[in-house]
Amino acid sequence: MKKNVDVSIPLGPVHPCWKEPVRLKCETSGERVLRTEVELGYMKKGIERIMRGRPWQEVMFLAERVCGICSVVHNMVFIEAMEGISGIAVPPRAAYLRVIVNELDRVASHILANFSYCYTIEHETLGMYLLNVRETVLDNLERITGSRINTAYMIPGGVRFDLTEADKAALLADLVKVEADMHRYVRMFETGPLIALRSKGIGIMSRERAIEAHAVGPTARASGLPESDLRLCHPTYQKLGFTPISRTEGDNFARIMIRFQEVFQSIDLIRKCVDRLGEGDSIRGGGFCGAGEITYRGEAPRGELTYYIKSDEYGRILDIAIRTPSIMNIEACAHYMITDATSVADVTSTFISSDPCIACNER
Amino acid sequence: MKYLYEKDLRQMKYNILTSTRHDMVVRQIARRLGIGEQKMRMILIRTFDMSLLENLEARYEMGLLHADTDDPVARKLGCELFTDFIPLVAPEAMQSIYEDVRTHIASGTQENSAIDEGLARIREVIR
Amino acid sequence: MSILQKIKNTVRSRSIHVAYVDVGSCNGCDIEVLACLAPRYDIEQYGIYVHNNPREADVLLVIGSMTPQWVDKLQDIWEKIPEPKVAIAIGNCPISGCVFNRWHSYIEPPVAKYIPIAAQVPGCPPRPTEILNAILALAPTLFNDYEEKKQK
Repeated sequence: MKKNVDVSIPLGPVHPCWKEPVRLKCETSGERVLRTEVELGYMKKGIERIMRGRPWQEVMFLAERVCGICSVVHNMVFIEAMEGISGIAVPPRAAYLRVIVNELDRVASHILANFSYCYTIEHETLGMYLLNVRETVLDNLERITGSRINTAYMIPGGVRFDLTEADKAALLADLVKVEADMHRYVRMFETGPLIALRSKGIGIMSRERAIEAHAVGPTARASGLPESDLRLCHPTYQKLGFTPISRTEGDNFARIMIRFQEVFQSIDLIRKCVDRLGEGDSIRGGGFCGAGEITYRGEAPRGELTYYIKSDEYGRILDIAIRTPSIMNIEACAHYMITDATSVADVTSTFISSDPCIACNER
Repeated sequence: MKYLYEKDLRQMKYNILTSTRHDMVVRQIARRLGIGEQKMRMILIRTFDMSLLENLEARYEMGLLHADTDDPVARKLGCELFTDFIPLVAPEAMQSIYEDVRTHIASGTQENSAIDEGLARIREVIR
Repeated sequence: MSILQKIKNTVRSRSIHVAYVDVGSCNGCDIEVLACLAPRYDIEQYGIYVHNNPREADVLLVIGSMTPQWVDKLQDIWEKIPEPKVAIAIGNCPISGCVFNRWHSYIEPPVAKYIPIAAQVPGCPPRPTEILNAILALAPTLFNDYEEKKQK
């Protein structure tokens, strides 16, 4: 350890602010935090090792359990990668249904991330409001897919269930409610003077640093990297006319505001998809999963998610590597945002503002 | 009761490095610097914390894309790659190595042999 | 039953402090425990407070499939919780390891090998109402007349 360090303060693994176990070792000089080290290994389950040699029907469910918060997108990226390997086409209605479910999941995940941040800066009222909105979103997810968390909604060539007229009406009615509520809460967050004191100008990450650490998702877009949104490359989103949101401040406030703005954007996307559902009525195509090798990227709520898959002719997974967005974001957060922080109290809030998901990070 | 604050993390760090893509990247870095693979793993485990080891692969990819795009000598040495993207070497040490290689090339040494000399010095620094 | 015991019983039935510890799950059960905090389920109306601080907890919710890092640490956390205490396993992972309990994985389930588990809530993940129900059903029966039971 360096000479100028006074105390090394460990935070975690069990910490009131953190939902998952991770340990930050902050080297401090007085109140100032000089540098931070991350100690992982509390959640290492070895999912990639389990996946090897198993048929895709099993790996599909394992892929979903890489992360419980953004399980839909893990399902979606894995299935789309398998479709890419075997050349299976998706009917338009199924493609739009996938986007609907994915965006519902994104709304739930962003609201949860912002809840965690509000809880960490001790704005519990706003946190509870947000958590209640999330329940409404999860209701819709449950109504469409049959499950709240691990949905397993997508299968190669389509989706499992159709969206009935009654569910569609309920979904649209709930979206109106969620949007109205969120407008109110965003105004509370945006104009709250104490929130601004705790968030503005804290944990700044510049654009160059974001590129160096390969930061992705809202964390990168808050630092002025709109091209990092991979929904731009997805064919269904291209049809919907998607444009990413970005900000340039790169501080905690920007990261939280990006997530709030993306919630509204996702709601708009869902509405557009519901309008276009009439383009077809088939929700399942056909095909067999075959041999091949692919590197497929998709946009998870936290950023770029990469699956590298190699399969044999029976659809068994020979080799797999998963790169989750939290790997890059936690690393960028620990080594760029928390260096030279003015107080230890900012460490927790900055760490939570990058939306860390340790289960993703360690797999 | 025994309080355990610091644990030996080497086995867990090694587990991170044995993942498919990480293993590939470690092999590439080892080949590039001319160090044995197991030795390279040892150096990485000693130098980096667990989060950076997880991110090694993404950082290497970004380094290949964005580091030293305008200077072929610095690119071959990995000037920015091994200081900013994968912080194995201190920036000052890297700067002096780079300047020495530059003067060697200016005084008439073959570019390849000068770069080899530079890589040998990098190996000494990180060992 | 002494008056002191009666007072303790009344107080304990309306004040249960909960800590949760994730020993390697997929995060799904974590957020279902968090969802219990939401005003819809309103865990605090039953007098349950989620603090995530083992030193003032009565109930420990164990989530996840036991990774090697936790083998020595979970025991420490369990010892830090003051008596009377109880541990509840949430989800399939602490019971059997769920989908992660295969060849080549790093986990070592079940959690019951390391600390005494009083109740198990299966599900992948269980619903917030089920978690709430388990805490509410278990805690009063275990904490009722704790001192008198201990003397016997």
